[in-house]
Order: sequence, then C-alpha cells, then structure tokens
Amino acid sequence: MSVSVPEPLRYADRPEWNDVAPVEQYENVNPLAPIFYTNEYKDATDYFRGIIKTGEKSQRVLQLTEHIIRLNPAHYTAWQYRYETLLAIEANLEDELRLMDELAITYLKTYQVWHHRRLLMLQIRKPAPELVFIARTFQVDPKNYHTWSYRQWLLAYFNDANLWIGELDFVEELLNDDIRNNSAWHHRFFTVWQSGVREGEEDRERVLRRELIYVKQSISLAPNNASAWNYLRGILDHNSIPYQKMITFVQPYTLLLDEQVADLVDLENPPPSKSAHLPCASAIEFLADIYEAEGGNSMLKATELWKSLGNEHDISRKKYWEYRIREGLRAIQT
Amino acid sequence: MTKDFNLPPLARLAHAGHARRCLSGLPDSQIELDSGRMAVAFYCLGALDLLKMLQDKVSMTDRESWQEWIWEQHTRGKYGSGFRPSPFMTVSSEVERTTSYTDYDTPHIIMTYTALLTLAILRDDFSQLDKQGILLLLKACQREDGSFSTIPGGGETDLRTLYCAFVIAHLLDDWSTINLQNAFSFIASCRSYEGGYGQSAHCEANGGTTYIAMAAMELAPVSTTPLTALEKRKTIEWALHNQLESGGFCGRTNKLADACYCFWIGGSLKILGAGDLVDSRSLASFLASCQFRFGGIAKAPGEHPDPYHTYLSLATLSMFPPPVYENDASGSSWIFDPLDPLINARQETADWARKYIAIKH
Repeated sequence: MSVSVPEPLRYADRPEWNDVAPVEQYENVNPLAPIFYTNEYKDATDYFRGIIKTGEKSQRVLQLTEHIIRLNPAHYTAWQYRYETLLAIEANLEDELRLMDELAITYLKTYQVWHHRRLLMLQIRKPAPELVFIARTFQVDPKNYHTWSYRQWLLAYFNDANLWIGELDFVEELLNDDIRNNSAWHHRFFTVWQSGVREGEEDRERVLRRELIYVKQSISLAPNNASAWNYLRGILDHNSIPYQKMITFVQPYTLLLDEQVADLVDLENPPPSKSAHLPCASAIEFLADIYEAEGGNSMLKATELWKSLGNEHDISRKKYWEYRIREGLRAIQT
Repeated sequence: MTKDFNLPPLARLAHAGHARRCLSGLPDSQIELDSGRMAVAFYCLGALDLLKMLQDKVSMTDRESWQEWIWEQHTRGKYGSGFRPSPFMTVSSEVERTTSYTDYDTPHIIMTYTALLTLAILRDDFSQLDKQGILLLLKACQREDGSFSTIPGGGETDLRTLYCAFVIAHLLDDWSTINLQNAFSFIASCRSYEGGYGQSAHCEANGGTTYIAMAAMELAPVSTTPLTALEKRKTIEWALHNQLESGGFCGRTNKLADACYCFWIGGSLKILGAGDLVDSRSLASFLASCQFRFGGIAKAPGEHPDPYHTYLSLATLSMFPPPVYENDASGSSWIFDPLDPLINARQETADWARKYIAIKH
C-alpha cells in the first residue's frame, strides 16, 4: 500500500477491548472465491463475531459496526446488529441520521445504507427534512435508483399533505436541469397520477390539461426524448384518452421542419422548435399507432410509417417494424 | 445494417481464465462481496458452464471441495433451511458450526437460489438438501404484502428476492408455502406506466426488475398469465426501445447501454415470446466491445470486467446467438448451448437442477 494513512490500532491492542474474545471466521481448507481480507477488516470482524457471541449491545458496538460498515457497506449483519443496538441502548437516532447523511453519499449505490435509513425513519417519523436531504444527494447523482425509491416510499408511506406541496416544483427543477431525466419524469407521473388526489388537484380535467400542455411543450423543445413521449402515452392511457386526440399536435413532428410555423405560440399544439431534429421517430411511431387504432384503410397508412421507421428513421429496430407491418396486414385480412 | 461490419472473436479462453482466477481468490478491493460470495461463485462457475470449460479449467478435486464448501453454507434452524452467502459470520468452533444458526447467521433467499444453481452446475445429487426446511424458509421470508425479505425477519424486500423464492419453489416443484395471490399483487404494484417494472411499488421501470417480474409470472404454476395482451405489448415495446444504436441495452429510458441489461431486458423479451425481434448481431457486437483485453467482460467499453457482467453477457449470447457470416474471423467463438431463460442456467444444467431438487410427491 502506497497510501500513507496509518493502520488503525488493532482491537487486540486496545485495552478497552481486552474483555472481548475475538472469534475467527470458519473457512474450509479450499474456500470458493475467497477474499484476501485486509488485516484491518479481519481484525474488526473477528471482534464483531466475538461481540455477537456474547450478545453485547453498547456504545462501543456502535463504533465497531461503523468501522466495519466503512470497510464493507454491504455487510448486512453489521447493519442489522447496529440497528438492534441503537434501539437497545436508546441511542439518539437523530445523531445516527446525521452519520447516515455522510455514509449515504459515500455509499450511494449500496442497498443497506438506504434500508437502514428507512428503519430509522420508521422510528423518528419526521420525513420532511429527508426530502431536503434527498434533493442534496441529487446534486451528486440525479438518477440514483435507491434515492428515488426512498423518496417515493417516504411520500407514499407518510402521505402527509404538507410533504407533497413542493413535489411538482421539485420535479420541474430537475427537468429544467435535464429534460431527459427519466427518473424525474417517472416521479412526475407518480406525484400527479398515482398517489391519490390532493387539495387543489380535485379538478382532474384541469390537471390533465395542465399535464398535456407541460409534456407537449417539453416535446416541442426536444422532440427526440423518449421519456417525454412515454409520459404522454402514460397519461393518455391512464385517463383512457384515445391517441387520436393528439393527431394535430403529433403530425408536424413526423415531417421535415417547417420554418414558417415554428414561431407560433399555440399551447394546445406547440410546433417543433427551430433547432428540432425532424422527423422524429417517436412521433412517427405515435402517428402509426393512431392509424392502427383507426383500422380499415388507415392501417395501410400505418404500415407506410412503420416501413419508413425500419428503412430510414429507426433502422436498428428494423425487425420490430417488420413485425408490426406483418401484424397490421394480418389484421386487415381478418 | 447487420452485414456491414465484421464480428470480432469472442475471447472464450480469456473469459474462462477470468472466471477461474476469481474463483481462486478476490483482492481486498472486492471486500463488499464478502456477504455475497455465493453469487460470485455462481457467476464464475456459471460462466465456465456456459463456455463448457468447467471440466478443462477446474480439476475434479477442486470441484469436489467446492461442493463441500457450498454444503457447509447449508444451514438449519428455527426459520427453516437454506444457504448462507459465505462463512462471513460463521464462528470457528466445529461444535458451534453444526448446531442451529443464530439470528445473525441465517440462510439468505438470494444466496439459496445461487447455491442451488451452482450445485447443479457441479452436478451434485442434492441428497444433503433439506427440502422441507427450504419450504419453511420461503414461508418465513414472505411478507404480508406478498414480497419476500432476503433473510427471515429482516433485510430488504423487493422484487429480486421474490424471483429467487419463485425459482426455488419451481425447482422443488412445491408452491405450498408461498401465498401466490399476494405475490402477484406485489408484482402488479411494481408495474409502471412505461410498461416495465420497478423494484417495489411506485418505482421507475428498470430492466432487472422487469426480467424478474416476467420470469416470476411465467414460473408460477397457474395456467393463465395475469397480463392482458395489451399490457404484454406495452412491455415488449418498452423493452425493445431500450436497445440503443450501439446494439446494447440500457436499463431505463434515456440511460446508457450496459452489458447486464442486455441480459435482463433481452431475457424479458425472450420470456415474452418476442426474442426474435431483437437485433442479435448488433447486440453481440456491443458485447464484443465490452470485452476486457485480459479476459472478462465489463459493463461498458473501457470499463473493468467483473464476474457479474461476464456471466450475464455470456448468458445473453446463449439466448441470442448472432448470425455469423463468412467474413467473421471466428464465427464459431459465438456459438453457445441454449439457456433456460426462466431460471438463468444452461438448459442441461437447468434440467439437472429440476430433476434432482424436485420433491418426489
């Protein structure tokens, strides 16, 4: 090791630990995929096994488990025993949460860090500051799955009207930073459509109109964004609205850019922006779905669009578009 | 598009070497795998099995002693029986080791799944398996909402564990200790508007958990699938749209391609009967670009390889053998035996597992 950090004092050399008998890990003579432990990890886990044997739950157990967690944040037994110890000695859980603020950011992608945080929150039951903390971690990684999942759990579990107040603004801020952040789009769907109806949102027609304007506006700024198209489809499906209703909006995106219309301000049907890269494959696919649903003669228009996707605008999915054409033609024949 | 580039060789020997080296030992930088070593063993031995190099690369003595090591992780106790991830919480004394486990050394559902598959790869006869005890463990780990925890009484619960529990029940051919209705409603609660599935209720659609939802519903012993034709189509569309121009799949909309999602999303499509809609040649070309110079396959080009991405890449190729042409220098290096996409093992290994693990009623 070239790093000049001194190895911490071994537990065996610390007088305050000499009442604990370390217990070595039992390992067969020919272990499978053994890990060449550092002396520090081996020493700490020997003492941890020693502690488990006596069942001690004390302040020093918190130090020991923190030490192990910093060496191996996926050590789920260290987390499990730490949590039990916190409860047993009635430790200050707010202090624990502050320590977790640091560990969550260091080990953002470890399951256990977030699981432990959930367990703490079930005891502390103060979710509001957590939303602020999460917003902070998004500065490091705005698409972290564990963090988003924790936020969704907090909101759904505590489901307090005050908690939800800033949620839509929060999503919009993230989408302003990155219009292609699918986690933010997903969270928008969850907030608006999947978590009940909150005060001020009772008029669902108005909410639907607002969301349609929002997503269409977003598409007009950046048409080639699958997240926005998926959101559009999602809200139409959720509200049982036929895709046909979007035909006027979608059509200009399936053609080459028309410089004339680009300056129009039309909230219902915002035209593509001047920098848009057109035609847009997602729009062609959407229009084909409209024609397919119409059936009859429109099916032929759909097959033409699928052909253009497979041959020109979305070549890497050629096999899929050929399949859609076959299915479409079969539907006409029957 | 598919014919205008040459497929480079798949470095089979180098990948087998990588898997073999990891089985012999992992550096201290991999300490986070301490509580998941059984899964590492599965990925490494599974890679050798898919490459059909297990006999060449591993001596009979090693294979036997590794079987013995896995059986030492088989443990019994008040919540039922199963396998531990490793002896990371096992104490040294012989006497203590053979008695019932404590609350801090219980079997783990995901590790039980990987241990069963690994033993099948090693062609174990499973005569030591406490089958009734494993059924009890499944019961002890299922929560009221239908999900499963990784360990009895604690640990995270999400779709991953549910899948592992379902494979175990499938291999035992006994679903009597699982509440299927609750499990199904948990799966349904994970469905997202995009057509994929999230890790738990309200979560964003993700390739890994979508595979798990598809495989679990297909494994369950019910005659009709709980998905409507329209829902299936939506899932297929979402999955296909995650194949990017590089040929690789991303795990979520607008993310980057990653070798592991080639398996998770490719597997979902295979299970949904839409495997032939995948462009397998560009998929193989993406995986070729993830090969590490000295063996092993990484999540993306230029990254470091690991057993997880190596195994899942080879499993992907077993499901989606690319068409090879005369110009391809080593076309034969891309040929694999078929994979059982539901339990994730080479077909022959999967058949062995079913034959020897099933409870004879």
